[in-house]
Amino acid sequence: MNYLELLKLAAPEAVVAVTALVVLALGLARGRVAGICSAAAAAGLLFAMAAVVMLPPNATLFGGMHVITPLTSLFKTICLTLAFFTVILARSDRSARNQGEYLALLLLATIGLMLLVGSEELLMIFIGLELTGLSLYVMAGFDKTDPRSAEAGLKYFLFGSTASAFTLFGLSLVYGMCGTTGLAAIGGKLDAIPVQPLLAAGIVMTLIGFAFKIAAAPFHLWAPDAYQGAPVASAAFIASGSKVASFVVLGKIVLVGFAPAQGSAAWHGLIAGWAPVLAALAALSIVVGNLVALAQSNVRRLLAYSAVAHAGYTLLGLVAGGRDGFGATLFYTTVYAFTLVGAFGVVALVRRETGGDDLTHFRALRSRSPLLAGCMAIFMLSLAGLPPLAGFFGKFYLFSAALRTGANHGLLWLVALALFGSLISLYYYLAVLKAIFVEEPSPATTQLLNDPRPTRTSPSSDFLERISLAVLALVVLFLGVLPGGLVTLIVGALP
Amino acid sequence: MSPILFWLFAFVMLVFGAAVVINRNPIASALSLVVCFMGLSALFISLDAFFIGIIQVLVYAGAVMVLFLFIIMLLDLRVEERRKINLVAFVGGLAVAFALFVQICFVVDQLGAAKQAFPSLRAAKMDDVHNVGLLLFTNYNLPFQIIGVLVLVATIGVVVLSKRELR
Repeated sequence: MNYLELLKLAAPEAVVAVTALVVLALGLARGRVAGICSAAAAAGLLFAMAAVVMLPPNATLFGGMHVITPLTSLFKTICLTLAFFTVILARSDRSARNQGEYLALLLLATIGLMLLVGSEELLMIFIGLELTGLSLYVMAGFDKTDPRSAEAGLKYFLFGSTASAFTLFGLSLVYGMCGTTGLAAIGGKLDAIPVQPLLAAGIVMTLIGFAFKIAAAPFHLWAPDAYQGAPVASAAFIASGSKVASFVVLGKIVLVGFAPAQGSAAWHGLIAGWAPVLAALAALSIVVGNLVALAQSNVRRLLAYSAVAHAGYTLLGLVAGGRDGFGATLFYTTVYAFTLVGAFGVVALVRRETGGDDLTHFRALRSRSPLLAGCMAIFMLSLAGLPPLAGFFGKFYLFSAALRTGANHGLLWLVALALFGSLISLYYYLAVLKAIFVEEPSPATTQLLNDPRPTRTSPSSDFLERISLAVLALVVLFLGVLPGGLVTLIVGALP
Repeated sequence: MSPILFWLFAFVMLVFGAAVVINRNPIASALSLVVCFMGLSALFISLDAFFIGIIQVLVYAGAVMVLFLFIIMLLDLRVEERRKINLVAFVGGLAVAFALFVQICFVVDQLGAAKQAFPSLRAAKMDDVHNVGLLLFTNYNLPFQIIGVLVLVATIGVVVLSKRELR
């Protein structure tokens, strides 16, 4: 093991790190450098994707601290793609200062995500969580002119640091019992140990930290304020990239590390382990997320509560366990992340035109911008899970994986709850579409739009954002019509 | 180690540990805690655990306590007001503390390992700083470097969030 070999195997991370430093330096130059910074960041992310492709198919460094498999390469690419769209999204906030620092933090958070995805060792996982978390806290509170952004940053930070303290405590208990930090080795050791109070405490504490990351109820309280108050690009990245990586790692920890302590969440056959804990989290998230989302009048807050519900659906796959369940979870979280980046992109553009992101600001978007209205329709219907969009297939795959596990459909209760939740969710997603397609514009918005202020940007200047939104909408449509490609890729990459 | 030194440092630690709680002025409390940590590190060093002793001074007395002092001065905390002692809470607290003490004594009494004499570290020839450094730059090289990135994030974050914007 020498440094050159390490550099070769960690090339994507190294490329992103160098890009972050370059962007940071570019941001220091005088004058209008935001565009150059964005271009450099986007180019760096593309280079990193190329570096991922050049990686060898299988390698392990430092006993699992840095693992390269087809699965990790696939999800590194997905994280980089999400970061790429976030960089484009960040352009739409023209008033933002310190664009260089913002993009550098975004890139550093992406390194954290890639390390999380590519690690099968507790120490590295914790460092990856912290690297991602710390960057995202700052990104959430980045807009110093907006008190709500400060609120978002502070709430996210306080919840996040408490949750990671719990995770660290839990991981240290697991380490204390097993004497090793490698996930596969932990799985081997736990085989010989029955579920006892110390192990139960370790597992529950570990799961708390991840429940925070994926915003599962009752650890979701930061999400509405962070999604609403943070700069739109930060919120999009928190909701997409951070979530994808967290689900990949959570899946690896519970299915590889804690595999012997799975237990069962079946209705008439509860067995102690992590599966019942995750099942409880999933059930609570589905109920709380969907019901509270009904009452929201702000689109970003609505997306936050729907994110809680979606975390619940996604957990279903992990509760089911096995290759099928994990594959379903990974497919769903990927689709969800792309949908949400798109939805936040629409929110960002509407916010720029009308100065807000309440439902009233979305009224009559169809007549102002048919493209944005069409994209939003695709994203919302996909989130609601209507065919032929990607969200439908993702849910179908998840629910059928959950239904197939166990002897006599033990997880039927959870699937029924999730189906019921999807039914409720249709109402609030359609409420957004009703505002866009049916309602007349509110007088205040009309006045604002008819008032030709010099600061308003012409529609042609956000050409790139519109193109990328259209691309995202096409991706969501494509994954719904032909999901086979990504599913084969994910399932084939699973060990 | 010389028993006299042990008693001396233990005495210093206890006195200043008590001073942390008794002092009404937060700055005096924090400084007492620094002295307490110094005594602890002296005890470690007299047990031949040089690395832990030095880290104790560097990290706790150096970094953590300076942070405490910064925050105390930043928040401009005044001398704490004298409170009336709530008798029920006081007795309750004493009872809990006593129960915990008895429990710890019981556990130590039951623990087999506690009855054995500790092997002298000097006899074990633990070259600890060397070993830690070796591990840090071989097995734990990657996390070590990633921590560097983490510190970079913290630096950028602090500068950006605390910078006063020019209008």
